Order: sequence, then C-alpha cells, then structure tokens
Amino acid sequence: MSALVVGIGNRSRGDDGVGPLVAARVAELGLPGVEVVTYDEPLALVEHLAGHDDVVVVDAARSRGGRPGAVRVVRVGAAPLPRDAAALGSHGLGVADAVELARALGRLPRRLTLVGVEALVIELGAPLSEPVRDGLDAAVDAVVAALPAAAR
Amino acid sequence: MTHKGAGEGRELTAETLARVEGEGAMRVVVTDGEVSEVQLRIYEPPRFFEAMLRGRGHTEPPDLTSRICGICPVAYEMSACRAIEDACGVSIPEDIGLMRRLLYCGEWIESHTLHVYLLHAPDFLGYPGAVEMAADHRDVVERGLRLKKAGNALMTLVGGRAVHPVNVRVGGFYRLPTGAELRALRPQLERALDDALATVSLAAGFDFPDFEQDHEYVSLRSERDYPIEDGSFVTSSGRDFAVSAFGDWVAEEQVPHSHALHARLRDTPGPYAVGPLARYSLNHDRLPPTAREAAYAAGLGTTCRNPFRSIVVRAVELVVACEEALRIIDGWSDGGAPSVPVPPRAGVGHGATEAPRGTLYHRYELAPDGTVLDAQIVPPTSQNQAGIESDLRGFVQDRLHLDTEELTRQCEQAIRNYDPCISCATHFLELTVEEG
Repeated sequence: MSALVVGIGNRSRGDDGVGPLVAARVAELGLPGVEVVTYDEPLALVEHLAGHDDVVVVDAARSRGGRPGAVRVVRVGAAPLPRDAAALGSHGLGVADAVELARALGRLPRRLTLVGVEALVIELGAPLSEPVRDGLDAAVDAVVAALPAAAR
Repeated sequence: MTHKGAGEGRELTAETLARVEGEGAMRVVVTDGEVSEVQLRIYEPPRFFEAMLRGRGHTEPPDLTSRICGICPVAYEMSACRAIEDACGVSIPEDIGLMRRLLYCGEWIESHTLHVYLLHAPDFLGYPGAVEMAADHRDVVERGLRLKKAGNALMTLVGGRAVHPVNVRVGGFYRLPTGAELRALRPQLERALDDALATVSLAAGFDFPDFEQDHEYVSLRSERDYPIEDGSFVTSSGRDFAVSAFGDWVAEEQVPHSHALHARLRDTPGPYAVGPLARYSLNHDRLPPTAREAAYAAGLGTTCRNPFRSIVVRAVELVVACEEALRIIDGWSDGGAPSVPVPPRAGVGHGATEAPRGTLYHRYELAPDGTVLDAQIVPPTSQNQAGIESDLRGFVQDRLHLDTEELTRQCEQAIRNYDPCISCATHFLELTVEEG
C-alpha cells in the first residue's frame, strides 16, 4: 500500500496554510508510491487514515512558548495523544482529536507521524509569516524523513 | 471548586483557545446575584475579504469568499453568485437553480452532521467530546461519519471537490454532472436518508433544559420549497421584505467588546435569530413529506422556541437535505447548458441564501466593466451574536448555584445551540470565576 502525506489547513489564514504548502512541496518531489492530499479540516483525517501503511500529517501548530517556524515531529504510538488542541494543531476539532477518534473507531494506519509547524499568525487573509516561511524547508525534510525508506 | 451563592458578585471570563473558524471569548458579570453583563466575542468578521474584493472582477467573489469558511464554502459561493447575477440583471434557468440546491444539500449534510454528531451530541450524552463518546457509542459515531461521507460524495460530484468546490461560477457551473453520474449516488443517499431519520430519533430522545427565548425569527421563504438557495425574507412577527431591502431592515452596529458587527432589526428592540430554529418555525409548511413526518414523530410543533432543541431541528433538516437531493436527482434531465453568460454592468446586487447556521447576505456594487467597487458580507453568526448573549444572560441567571465547571459546560452547550463558526472548537471557553 502507498504512503500518504496529508497537509491540513486553510491557505487563506496566514500560517494555517503551512500544511497544504508543505504538502505541495512534497508533491513536487515526485516520490515513488507517495500520495499527497490536502484537507481544510482535520476531521477528514478520520475518513482517510485507514487504508495506508504509512501516513504523515503536516499541520500548523500552536503551543505555549513555541518558537514560530519551529518543526515538531510526533510519532503516534500506543499511548493516546495529549488532547490539548492548542498544542498540536490550530483547529477546533484538532488533529489530536481526529487521530484519537480514528483510534477509537479502529481506523489508525500502521504508522502515523504528525509534523507540526509552529504558527505565528492565523488571521483570516494574512500572508504566511516570515519565521514560518523560513521553516518550510525543515518541515519538508521532516515529512520526507518520516516516510518509509522505499519512498525516499 | 468555587461554589458561590446568589447575592455575591462574580465575574466569569473566558479566554480563547487557538482555533481556525473564529476567535472567541466570553465574559459574564454577576452583581448582587443578578447577571449584569454578558459579552461574547465569537466571530471574526470577513472585513479583510470585503476590502480585498474591491477592485476584483465580477466573476471572482464566489471563489474568493468561499475561502472564508471551511465548513460552509457553498453558502459563500451561492450568496455571492446570486448577488453578482442580481447586479448584472441575469436570471438563472431552473435546472441550474436545482443543481445549486443539490450542491447546497451536500453542504447541509456535511455541516449539520459534523455539528450534531461530533460537537453537540456529546453534550447531551454526557461526554466531554466525540472521542470519549465514540468509545461507548461507536455505532452512533460511525453513522455520523457515514452521513458526512454522503454529503462529501454530493459535494465532490457536483462541486468538483469535497471542500471548497471548484466547479461553481457566476452564472452556473463549469460542468454539470450527468444524470447517470447523479443516479449512481442514489443508493448512498437512500442510506443517508435512513441515517438522517435515525438521527432525528436519536436527538428527539435527549433531555432538554427547560428554556425558551422569544427572539424575532428571520429566515428566507420561497414560493414552494424549504428555503436553502432561494427565497425572500420573512419574520416571526409577520413582516416580509425583499433580499434587496436587507439593508433597510437590518442595521450593523459596532460593539466595543467584539471584532464583529452586531446585527439588529431596525424596528425591533430585542435580538433576532437566523438558523435552523428560525427556518423551521417560518417554513414548517414547506417541509418535504418525510421530513415533516419525522418532525412530528420527534414531538416538534410547528414552531420551536427552545434553542437546545435546535439539535432535533438540525436532524430534521438533515432529512430535508437527503430527501431534496433524491428528489432533484430523480427529476434530473441532461441537456441544459452548465451556465449562462453574465455580462457585467454598473449596478448594485444583493444575494441571500440559507447557510447551515443561518442566512448569509452579500451585497456588491459593480462598475460598468464589472469591477467590484464595494462589497458587504453579513454572516449568520454575527446576526446571532446578540441572541446568544441574550440566551446566556437568562440561562446563567437561573443556574448561578452551579459550580464553575458545570456552569462552563452548560454555557458552552448553550452557545453551541447556534452552531456558531467557533463551534468548530469543541472546547473553547476557559471559564474563570473572579469574586466581585
């Protein structure tokens, strides 16, 4: 089965668009056997996580005291994710909620990695902030590193 | 845990959590056992988009404004299309109107299912959120996801994508789905109709706080059908006005505590409400047969004044959306042009349609070459803001004996009754109690 890269976020909301932007960069790499999709809302994850061995989700994150543009990688394991929506994603029904909902419904893929990029600005209509723009390369690298060796 | 009796001063404040669909905070002040102040800041206005639209071409607003909301992009597209077509003096053929209604049904199914199953039901079933609810009620959550998938399928076929449809244009669509493609969705939509009926039964069995409000209801109403993509305004006190008269009837006011403009009816002192309760109460006679039966079986009367029962009405509207989608598909015949030309001209146009959470109004002023000179967008959540504050005032007053945690939970539930954009955040209020 193919690997899946999911970019989550709204490009019209400043740094919230970082997920789709990173996903687009990964798509340009043309990695073999890697499907790339983007969603506006994390709930879509619940519907699409199953059916892949490897899934990497990239999303804007907001954690208290986080440095804008910083990239954080979380490998989803047997333990439930901390459900602090603000820490792992900028969305209301956040990525952590979607992942745990998928877990409750038996829909988790074999390997799931979350790549969070610390956001600075998520106002409606704002452009991508400077620090997040600077962090794009690192985020793309983190996504690629999380993919199975065969795809890299 | 703080537990204060009446007679003391209290201040409940709630600060925002990061989230995408809006920016929210709540402040309730209690003085001498009376709620003296309620301030809610729950919606980030689309002012940036209004400014950005100026100078754009007349074909651009549907696509641009659909970006405002990830949950109801079709509503933005439809209100924008209608306003631009109105400004250009163009009428849309019936089949394009029906295809718009079909697309909109997909959005109602997606949005209402998300709210009913994953955001609001946990309140009634006693869970902090959908994840905890899923552990005990897996079949319920699976049904919700199946329903949402049916909405996604409609949006993908008609709109070209499950979110932010790309097939919509001023004047119609880039491509119309064929009758064969539409009929292929029938089994999934029949299942969705069954699931929607089961949703009504589920919601009807919940316990509802004894609470009623007397807001003026405002909704679209059309010649024949339940209002979705078409109609002119009616109110619960019997007034009616054209979409083009919206600005004569509704004033938008800046309030100090909120980014959002508060909307109010110019001739009515109290708040007004848009959304499922208003739509239902003003259009009960327009319900299609299956939805009407379901509403009756659920114990809903011809009007509904308890905002907590909005979850039942939303479920009935899920039935409406599935039933209408099936009706449109069954009656569809191929052959019509996907769009009509909309040549620009100087003028002002108005458009209003029923977003899942209430009436969404757009107004555009165009130059002779179609350039947008001015844009105004009045979303449902800013229209409901005063009503939500009013509800909270009455609701909190009767529940001051509750501890902070329980009061916070119930306030969140009361706000969620209106499915404001912020309800994308399942827990967005951090309530702290300060002694007055």
